[in-house]
Amino acid sequence: MSAMTETLEASAETVPMSRARARRTDMRSRGEPALWSLGGALAIGILMILGFLVLVLSNGIATFVPKPLRVVTQTDGKVTAGEPFRSEVFKPVPQDVAQLSPEWQEKIKAANGYVDRTLYRLGNFDIYGEDFRWVPEFLVAKVEQPKNLLFIERSEWGPFIGTVKTFKVDGVDQAFSGLDDAKFTQVHEQSRERAQAIRKVERSDIGKVNRALDDGRLALRKIELKDGKDSAAYRAADTRFAAQNVELQRQYQALTEQVQKLREANAKNTLTLVEVGGREKTIDFSGLVRAYAANDLSLGQKIGVYFSRWAEFLVDEPREANTEGGVFPAIFGTAAMTLLMVLVVAPFGVITALYLREYAQQGRLVSFVRISVNNLAGVPSIVYGVFGLGFFAYVVGGSIDSVFFPERLPNPTFGTGGLLWSALTLALLTVPVVIVATEEALAAVPRSMREGSLACGASKWQTIKYIVLPRAMPGVMTGIILAMARGAGEVAPLMLVGVVKLAPQLPVDGTFPFVHLERSFMHLGFHIFDVGFQSRNAEAGKPMVFVTTVLLIALVAIVNATAIVVRSRLKKRFAGSQF
Amino acid sequence: MNMESAIAARLDSAYESTVYHLKAGGGGTVLEINDLCLWYGQTQALHHVQMTVEKGLVTALIGPSGCGKSTLLRCINRMNDLVDGLKIKGQIRLNNEDIYNRAADVIALRKRMGMVFQKPNPFPMSIYENVIYPLKVDGVRDKAFLEETCERALRSAALWNEVKDRLDQSALGMSGGQQQRLCIARAIAADPEVLLMDEPCSALDPIATAKIEDLINELAGQYTVVIVTHNMQQAARVSDNTAFMYLGRLIEYGDTEIIFQTPKSPKTQDYVTGRFG
Repeated sequence: MSAMTETLEASAETVPMSRARARRTDMRSRGEPALWSLGGALAIGILMILGFLVLVLSNGIATFVPKPLRVVTQTDGKVTAGEPFRSEVFKPVPQDVAQLSPEWQEKIKAANGYVDRTLYRLGNFDIYGEDFRWVPEFLVAKVEQPKNLLFIERSEWGPFIGTVKTFKVDGVDQAFSGLDDAKFTQVHEQSRERAQAIRKVERSDIGKVNRALDDGRLALRKIELKDGKDSAAYRAADTRFAAQNVELQRQYQALTEQVQKLREANAKNTLTLVEVGGREKTIDFSGLVRAYAANDLSLGQKIGVYFSRWAEFLVDEPREANTEGGVFPAIFGTAAMTLLMVLVVAPFGVITALYLREYAQQGRLVSFVRISVNNLAGVPSIVYGVFGLGFFAYVVGGSIDSVFFPERLPNPTFGTGGLLWSALTLALLTVPVVIVATEEALAAVPRSMREGSLACGASKWQTIKYIVLPRAMPGVMTGIILAMARGAGEVAPLMLVGVVKLAPQLPVDGTFPFVHLERSFMHLGFHIFDVGFQSRNAEAGKPMVFVTTVLLIALVAIVNATAIVVRSRLKKRFAGSQF
Repeated sequence: MNMESAIAARLDSAYESTVYHLKAGGGGTVLEINDLCLWYGQTQALHHVQMTVEKGLVTALIGPSGCGKSTLLRCINRMNDLVDGLKIKGQIRLNNEDIYNRAADVIALRKRMGMVFQKPNPFPMSIYENVIYPLKVDGVRDKAFLEETCERALRSAALWNEVKDRLDQSALGMSGGQQQRLCIARAIAADPEVLLMDEPCSALDPIATAKIEDLINELAGQYTVVIVTHNMQQAARVSDNTAFMYLGRLIEYGDTEIIFQTPKSPKTQDYVTGRFG
């Protein structure tokens, strides 16, 4: 007993001491280490995103800036003219070093065997057979930036670096005095206009005739499938279409002649280019896209070239296996596909979520469905592509073809990849996002609102329509934004269900029925993959990869920004709410 | 056996002896609650409640927390239907119609009653749209009639002068007291046979509370009001009849003056004098 009292007394004495110590909360209990790791993780994330943006933006924005041209004379007499592309240090092989002058040997030894070299973009692929060349520092005898050297963008064979020797107008030689020569620019414009006219005739007029021919053939085939080849109807149609075909063939001939005439006129206007080594190349004026004296540009001219390149990139069609020209069809395809996807996924996802949250008896089955929906979001996207191809294109599309377009078989209409199937596949891919977001938004609508509406004599459906859905709309919009961002950036499944490297026609055009959901289309994401990794020369495609990436990011950012503005407008309606 | 269940057992044996001294309104009976029992799952929340509500009078339901007064109120317009695992026995008749009849149309039934909740719950729409909401869901499209109803309801709720210039603005921008009066306007817009109020002032400050109480006094006569309140002074001020409930049983029901001044049941006496609750 007395021992116990002693301990009590002893502890009573130590109490003030321990309290004094406890007044300083230690770092662990204040969560200091946790705070540091949380903040650190966020900082790393932000740094990575910033780094990515800086890399993409700096490369993408600088791509179209006209760069100076250099002419490098090598000690071995070789001459290289081109845009310096990038520099690096490398270790030359010892045999090469052994042949160098003693000073260079010393220098390289001092640098541990390393030396600088520069990669030049040469152009003139049709003459050289190569796009790029490394020039090591020790081979450089002289570097010049001649003012008369031109960077000439052509519609075929890529750029030409060199000078204009002469040009011919209507087969007559003219003296070349400079790029601003009035005659030169006038002939260039005329030729470009003629080239445009040729394209228009080939695309739209001849296209129309071809379509009419095709329609006639299909109509005949339809009658054949319906009534048989021996029927009177078939014979009558056959003679009718034969007469029509003769007329169409005549039109076709006339159009081809028209094109031929334009071509001949263009062939008379040529220009002879010469590269630094003295080799010549003669091209039509119509094949000249843009030419500028890279080392003799004022700031205004530089800006002009820069923006004219951006304009070409945004509104023109690609050329040179997509590595040059514009990406308009890809922008259009991406936007059309994303829009169509949203039109499908938004109602589908919202309706599903409404049933799951508002009507379904909450129990095991609903939990199971909910878990399955969440798991759908984790399925690899290529699997959706396979499903889309197998189910949408082959099963659904194949059935549509055999019922509605039997005369076109064996050529598939809907029975192959296309805009509609791509949009449906991506809708399937993104629907879990919309369902989950909508369900959460519905669950967050206060019970008091629902009760208030029900007490007013509203039915459950009226309550959902007038009170619950409007109130949940900002959350639903969030889901749709996420789905759009995911859908616009997705590439893998699209490669199976309708995206192509080069689509001859846009999915929306002036021919009936104006929106062609069965057509294959181009997509910015796939364009990046194609240009960057599938083209003849990956190095040449690199700048285009960056520019296209900038564009895709900008597109997604614009779409998201619009959706966010809409959402905040909706949210404002609920501002001031106490709940 | 703990004390509460002991009291419950004693009350059960004596439930027949609910004390009644009802003040008649002269307009007859609107609501008739017959032997109402209610269970939330296994828990019984109402025990054999038997009462009638007089037309044109204000009837207050008082009692300590958990006594079942809100549950009883929510039975009247079948808001309890939303609760899972609920079981009801007994009968409620609105103007002689059994509302728990299998053939009864719940939506039509709720249209005949208005309800005001504990917290103001205006909808996220304009003031005008809030007031005409019961008519809108009823399919009324006549604009002149809707505007007339809106004005009449807002005037009855003593809100017209404050909001007549901003009917098209969001109802969520109003003060708490204004919001609650808007909810009252909404509840009376469709001319309900009974107006149910579930602690309508518990989320309001004293000034807003006074306004609502004045409003209830004005509405009395025109409407039949059933009000649940925690506040005994409020019950004394606004009601004609008061029902005192305890542990799911109706202990005493009748003239408010008698309940608060000379209660017949000792339990009521204890409660109104503040000895428990």
